[in-house]
Amino acid sequence: MCDYYTIIFKTCVLILVAIYILYVVKCVFNTHGVHMPKHIVSGLKYLTAVELIREGYSQKEVAEILEMDRSTVSHYLNGRNLSWNSIEIAEKITEFCPKDFLLLTYALMHEKARIIVKTCSNSEFEGIIKESCIGCGLCVDICLMKAIVLNDLKAQIDSDWCCGCLICGESCPTNSIEILEVKK
Amino acid sequence: MISNTKEVKARDFEISRSAEEKRELLYKDDICIGCGICEKTCPVDAIELGSIGAIVRTDADVPKIVCDDDKCVLCGMCSVVCPVDALEFKIDDEDIKNMEEYPSLISSAEINDETCVYCKACETACPREAITIARNLPERSKLVTGEIEIDKETCIDCGICEEMCPADAITMEHKLPTSDDPTVSSDIIVDKDKCVYCLICKKSCPVDAIKAACRSCSYGEYDLNPEDAETTGASFIDQETCVNCGWCQEICPVDAATVVKPFEGELSVDQEKCQACGACVDICPCNVLSFPASSASGMRPEKVMSDENYCIYCGACENVCPVKAIEVKRTDIKHTPTKSKSWDKKMESLKT
Repeated sequence: MCDYYTIIFKTCVLILVAIYILYVVKCVFNTHGVHMPKHIVSGLKYLTAVELIREGYSQKEVAEILEMDRSTVSHYLNGRNLSWNSIEIAEKITEFCPKDFLLLTYALMHEKARIIVKTCSNSEFEGIIKESCIGCGLCVDICLMKAIVLNDLKAQIDSDWCCGCLICGESCPTNSIEILEVKK
Repeated sequence: MISNTKEVKARDFEISRSAEEKRELLYKDDICIGCGICEKTCPVDAIELGSIGAIVRTDADVPKIVCDDDKCVLCGMCSVVCPVDALEFKIDDEDIKNMEEYPSLISSAEINDETCVYCKACETACPREAITIARNLPERSKLVTGEIEIDKETCIDCGICEEMCPADAITMEHKLPTSDDPTVSSDIIVDKDKCVYCLICKKSCPVDAIKAACRSCSYGEYDLNPEDAETTGASFIDQETCVNCGWCQEICPVDAATVVKPFEGELSVDQEKCQACGACVDICPCNVLSFPASSASGMRPEKVMSDENYCIYCGACENVCPVKAIEVKRTDIKHTPTKSKSWDKKMESLKT
């Protein structure tokens, strides 16, 4: 009789242990796997929010620009709801070469990457279009920052938005684009 | 990544790219004259001209040009320089020929209906069959007046007048005679809308049964309205197939046709080199080149003849000549201005 209860008790304990192990594995996996990009995005948004506030935008405006809740912006600025590790990684990303910074951020956030890259970029760039430009518009279509427009069959680069990724120059069929870094 | 899509329909193609704006290049092979100007203009060498001589002479079912959609950047230059609009370029469904910032070749062909007498010479001469003349002829009955009467009592139903009438105005109701009605015709009718009062019937009638008189001959044309003698109509030029070659302008007897050609230049044929193969004659979209009528059968044609009045200086003949006997020079390119230096340079580079 006693043996019978012991066996049931041990089985129960084993099942509980197994469930606990699965739960722990799941948590660990989630934190460092599936949720990782979200943390990096939060880090990037944090850096952008801080920079925008420094530039003189109000919390409300920052929330609008980043399409976030005002409360989240407030939390960010007060150093809550964010792991310092995410911010460190985000900072490293902003120090990448402009093309890698843009492509990685774009992969994470698509269209919203534009404001992040524009705000967190460490340099300013000026685009010079040579007269050989044929106005094919390939650069306009290819620019992830939407920094290029055509004017009188000639491309025009908006320095405010150019992040210096040089993707436009790589695609230009007539090698008419020159991007120069301007000291900030 | 942004990439082009290409659709091929028979010998035509469409290349497009949709992103910030929709850019489309449409090629129509039946309009293409195979001049190769697009191939020379393309800044990325995406266009390749086929073996035009072979295609035209064998009527082969292959397109005259091929465009590599991996290379094409959809700039629209080929469309602007095409002298016959075989390449159409649209941005967001609007033809760049209607956009101010793009240059376009200046060419036109018009027929002034006020001056046109609807002789159809242009329709016959047009090498592209682009002209249609629709004309309304005056009514014959309004151009002549007179009187005609057949005395059915005297008439012997011989049918001579019916056979003689040049205007087919007389009809007899032929029939077999019966004991009840022993005649060979039941009636004879004159259609006064057809009768021109020529009096042939009257003169040929063996029994003088016809009384007829031409009033215009006897009393002049006092009862005729000159407006009734006018041919009216309308002319139509299919701008899609028209190549502005100038045949209509040259052949028009009343100077009703006006043609503006996009290029000016010179065409020269080296008669020493010419082997009279006829490739240029076959390729020329404007019937500029021809062989004089051969003197005897089995003889090779004489050297090729040319008349520059009809030439659009497209250069197709020069490309196709196997012995380089033809030289086409373009000395002037008429085009609307553009602010783009590269486009302006390209347009000027059409000069040779």
